[in-house]
Amino acid sequence: MTTAAGLSLSLSRGRFAPACLPTGCEGLDRLLGGGLPRGALVEMSGRASSGRFSIALSALAATTQTGETAALVDPGDHFDPQGAAAAGAELSRVLWLRPNGVKMALAATETVLATGFALVILDLGLARVSRRRFDDAVWLRLARRARVHDTALFVLAPYRVTGTAARIVLAADAARAGWDRSLLDGLSSHLVVEKNLERREMHLEGKASLLNLSLLDALQAGKKGKEEERKKDLLRKEEGKKENAAAFSGYLSAYGR
Amino acid sequence: MSPPRLACLVVPLFPLAARLRSEPALRDEAVILCEGNGTFAHVVAATRKARKAGIRPGFTLPQARALLPDLLTRARDLESERAAQEALLDVAGTVSPRVEDAGDGVVYLDADGLERLFPDERDLGRALIAAAKRESLPARCGLASSKLAARVAATLPDSPVVVAAGGEAAFLAPLPLVKLDPEAEIVETLARWGLSSVGDLAKLPAADVASRLGARGHALHEIARGRDPRPLVPRRPPPGFTEGMELEWPLVTLEPFLALAEGALERLARRLEAEAVGCARLDVSLTLEPEGCDTRTIELPAPTRDVKTLVTLVRLGLEGRPPGAAVTGFSLTAHPDAPRKGQLTLFGPAEISPDRLATALAKLFALLGPGRAGAPQAVDGHCPERFALVPFAPPPPPAVRRTPRTGRGLLSVRVLRPAVPLEVLLEGERPASLRALASTPPTDGGGRTAVDVAGPVRVASGPWRLEEGWWQEAPAFRAYWDVELSGGGLYRIFRDEPGGEWFADGVYD
Repeated sequence: MTTAAGLSLSLSRGRFAPACLPTGCEGLDRLLGGGLPRGALVEMSGRASSGRFSIALSALAATTQTGETAALVDPGDHFDPQGAAAAGAELSRVLWLRPNGVKMALAATETVLATGFALVILDLGLARVSRRRFDDAVWLRLARRARVHDTALFVLAPYRVTGTAARIVLAADAARAGWDRSLLDGLSSHLVVEKNLERREMHLEGKASLLNLSLLDALQAGKKGKEEERKKDLLRKEEGKKENAAAFSGYLSAYGR
Repeated sequence: MSPPRLACLVVPLFPLAARLRSEPALRDEAVILCEGNGTFAHVVAATRKARKAGIRPGFTLPQARALLPDLLTRARDLESERAAQEALLDVAGTVSPRVEDAGDGVVYLDADGLERLFPDERDLGRALIAAAKRESLPARCGLASSKLAARVAATLPDSPVVVAAGGEAAFLAPLPLVKLDPEAEIVETLARWGLSSVGDLAKLPAADVASRLGARGHALHEIARGRDPRPLVPRRPPPGFTEGMELEWPLVTLEPFLALAEGALERLARRLEAEAVGCARLDVSLTLEPEGCDTRTIELPAPTRDVKTLVTLVRLGLEGRPPGAAVTGFSLTAHPDAPRKGQLTLFGPAEISPDRLATALAKLFALLGPGRAGAPQAVDGHCPERFALVPFAPPPPPAVRRTPRTGRGLLSVRVLRPAVPLEVLLEGERPASLRALASTPPTDGGGRTAVDVAGPVRVASGPWRLEEGWWQEAPAFRAYWDVELSGGGLYRIFRDEPGGEWFADGVYD
């Protein structure tokens, strides 16, 4: 029988939360067997323009859309709030950290992991990271923290850095830009699951998927968001007018005019 | 109507107790507290070990040293005494909201209406003594229906001492007259009359005492009969909690100061915890040598009681702006604020514990510095690098978990802040080849732009003109291009129109 204390503990630890956080990209969710697993370190490596930053922002947007909070540790200062808002992220549920250096970024990641965020994204940027700057054991420590606090830790790096600590390793490569009559249409990214210790029964290791990231969809989403906001404003104004009219008629009836 | 019940908390040898609270390591040492300078220095109080060696209050310093050469000496520390008095008031405040500050380690509190919490008044006294002990103050407690009786009861051994209601006169009767703390002139008169105990004075007719000793004598007679006319005067709680101390010698380095400040912050955190509040703002006041004061305020992103975080913030503040002279004393004032309460939910996402979030934010603020942690905010404008950070205060989670939007992924841009200067070869108006200028070597993502852009252009699309802030001193006139390099890499580059320089300000990634 569940006691009140046990129930409270389960609630505070999010035991009733789904085991995976959807990334918002259907192809990637299928590849991962549902999304980013909670309590695990997932690493994604790939060179510039491989689509990993877009996937991370998509996961950020999907997580905040469910009402959860997410943290982005961004030592390269690459985050674009306008782009993330257009992708559907609720910015008020995002904690953006801009550490000055990788060492500081790792310390900040360790702190946010112990806080209880549903998703923590650590983006190591575009350039090579000198491994002398940190101990390899740091990844094991971060993975353990993620497991204890039931947080999905998503690490983006130009090449593999987390060693054995990651439960899932994805490689994004062979990206190709799509052009539509000299206009940039999007990017096709080839994703491969290099390692997956999470759902071995599904035999996902070695599977690959072609992920299409669309720029025009992003532009339309931004426009759509603005349009929805404009419609909401109009509705609010209409409701305000109706309330004023009701208040005025009440005032007239009260004074018998 | 029965008279109100009062409790009195007394800390014996209060100046010494306050000093030992600030320096707990001295508790088992032979320590004396001195007042006065040079040959006028005399002992005010001594620890048990020093008293065992025969040292008594009133001894001169050489007399005390002659008895115990290894004696440790400390001067009276008014800052520690003030903090200890505040801590004692907080202890009384945990039991009753009506508390009077009588100064020098004496506190009165209204003990009426506590029968349900403490059916036996002795339990109330024990609870107060235990709470004072947690604040490192060895207090005694007395309970009675008048202030004087409660105060006298608190000075007796076997604390707590309870005087039954109406039994004050009988309780005071056998005690010597000096317990009433009368004026010297009245003491002499009463001694000439042959009176030695409080009971002797109480037996005299009130009218005769008033006619011979005046109003002061009449008041003393009333007190002797157990009728203390002085009411309880509740204090108004101060806006903040203060801890601090005066130092024996000036400090010029940071580490010893932080060791002392950490002790003071631990005491502050205990007091904040007793009131179930957190520190929202910390005022640090440093007394400098030979004179002067350095005051600074540390704003916290959210109320916290985490000592390590507060110490780190004090350290960062002092490292960023050193005081400029040796420090001879300090006081730390915590301005309290109620921490937010988290709401648990069965069907919605779990909310982060507000207390844990506040502590984490304070730690991150201390680690990263100002302007480097917060919630991003979209800003109106056209320049892609624009952004704003606001304090992170997430709205409460929805009652039911929402379903996220899924579909094809959206292509996002990795913004390069600051933009990377480029050398661009043109074919007509179109970029044909790019190379990042050597002045921006790739780094490891240490807060600077780190991208190695180089190679012939496979596809270029543009230009798209951008114009912003033409009314400002530095307006933005840019012509944007999307370029795909032959070796891979999809960049957003622009030409700064007035100067003609090229920059890369984003990577499609």
